[in-house]
Amino acid sequence: MTRWNNGLDEVEAVSPDITDETNALPAQYFTDPDVHEMEKEAVFGQYWVYAGHVNCIPEPGDYFTRTIGDREIIVVRNHEGDVQAFYNVCAHRGSAMVEETPMTDPGSASRIQCPYHLWTYDLDGDLASTPRSFEEARLNPDLEDEDVPELDAEENALMEVHSDRIGPFVFVNFDEEPMSLDEQAGKMKSELEALPLEEYQLARRIVSEVECNWKVFGGNYSECDHCQANHQDWVRDLELLESELEVNDYHWVLHYQHKEDVDDEMRIHEEHEAKFYYFWPNFTVNMYGTADGYGTYIIDPIDEGRFQLVADYYFEDPDLSEEEAEFVRTSRQLQEEDFELVERQQRGLDSGAIAQAQLGPNEHTVHKLHRLAQEAYEA
Amino acid sequence: MSQHHQPAFTIACEACGVDTDTDSANEIVAFYRRHHRQTGHDVVLTRADLEFDLPVADDDLESVVAELEAHYDDGVPIGVVAAVMSERGYAVGETLEEIDDVRMTGALYEPRDDHLAAV
Ligand code: FES
Ligand SMILES: [Fe+2]
Repeated sequence: MTRWNNGLDEVEAVSPDITDETNALPAQYFTDPDVHEMEKEAVFGQYWVYAGHVNCIPEPGDYFTRTIGDREIIVVRNHEGDVQAFYNVCAHRGSAMVEETPMTDPGSASRIQCPYHLWTYDLDGDLASTPRSFEEARLNPDLEDEDVPELDAEENALMEVHSDRIGPFVFVNFDEEPMSLDEQAGKMKSELEALPLEEYQLARRIVSEVECNWKVFGGNYSECDHCQANHQDWVRDLELLESELEVNDYHWVLHYQHKEDVDDEMRIHEEHEAKFYYFWPNFTVNMYGTADGYGTYIIDPIDEGRFQLVADYYFEDPDLSEEEAEFVRTSRQLQEEDFELVERQQRGLDSGAIAQAQLGPNEHTVHKLHRLAQEAYEA
Repeated sequence: MSQHHQPAFTIACEACGVDTDTDSANEIVAFYRRHHRQTGHDVVLTRADLEFDLPVADDDLESVVAELEAHYDDGVPIGVVAAVMSERGYAVGETLEEIDDVRMTGALYEPRDDHLAAV
């Protein structure tokens, strides 16, 4: 039973059983600015979150930045060829060091230098050099040059952020002792790593701002009960009743069967279906059944009522063929159709009329999303 | 009959093919910053309804700000400067760069965050 706001503020925790009436996250969690602030720690400070794609930084010294909540990080390829992540914060007096550098337009540097007083770090984060003024005490009459201690390279290194990968996808975790990425990703990791994801290049990034809470979009992505009514062009080629929604610990997979099969060369994966992975909290991998390529979404919150959808498309050749360009346009059309739905849902939630919604029996993926959110808030 | 409210500004990224509407001039700048951070793209204003006639001064940013100041008590929102400069062919990021350059000369200052006044 839906719970309206009748002045009693009757809400309960998301029930573990989907058939219980309190199976949805209370509406306040989609509209409250304090919840947005809290999620920066409880959600985006706890779990593995997507940072970017290694193919964008192929050479030592290549880097991009990424902002997650209030934290800005540098993702860099070091001299050994490994990818590391650091806070974009100088060990001297805490200045941010490099300018914002998106993955689509990466930077390159032989070392990371802070522009403030020129402390300079190796690509593995160790302090490499400081100007003479940090080795001598010329301006300080109370100190002799000999008394100035040498700075230890490791103790004054940049602060590293835990990072790990699923194939070419780099994830970071801000928790001091996080669960492993393997544990959070479960079999999604082995499934994705069985595919030649590295062989595909970033061809297109489309960023949109949408007026709804990020979890509203996450929920919409996770079910297809709305497809018949709202994605008529798309479902024409789908066998919706043959589709399956599979739920795992921290991810769920949407399997959509196509009515007519396409050639195996037209797909990166073996299965004759489109396969969409949602990885808690805000990343998706989109394996299309009808294109030799794949996509990812980042569902990045801006505030409680807005998020950015960062849609990346990967193909063998970053210069799109006419078919591939058409494919991206179709994907974009689906996004636009969904934006209308999620913005309308947010308007309803913002009205304050509903206190706790209810989910249908085939919305077990949405239920999982709501359960994980609640688990994160309580942790 | 409900009257449909037309937001004052539309900002667009031509590379992404996305746009957004807003009534707040400084949201233009916030949109640019968020979008630039993810893509490196600049964005343009495709519609701007200002409540007053545009200043007629030359392209010079300093004189534009000086003229606009008459309409504001505590500095001109930089989004309004971006809107006026867009009439002169500047993308939002280009205007912000120009603002930084002129501020470095000392001719402009920020009486409060993201608002400009001539010195
Ligand atoms: S704050 Fe970075 S060198 Fe001083
Ligand atoms: Fe949809």
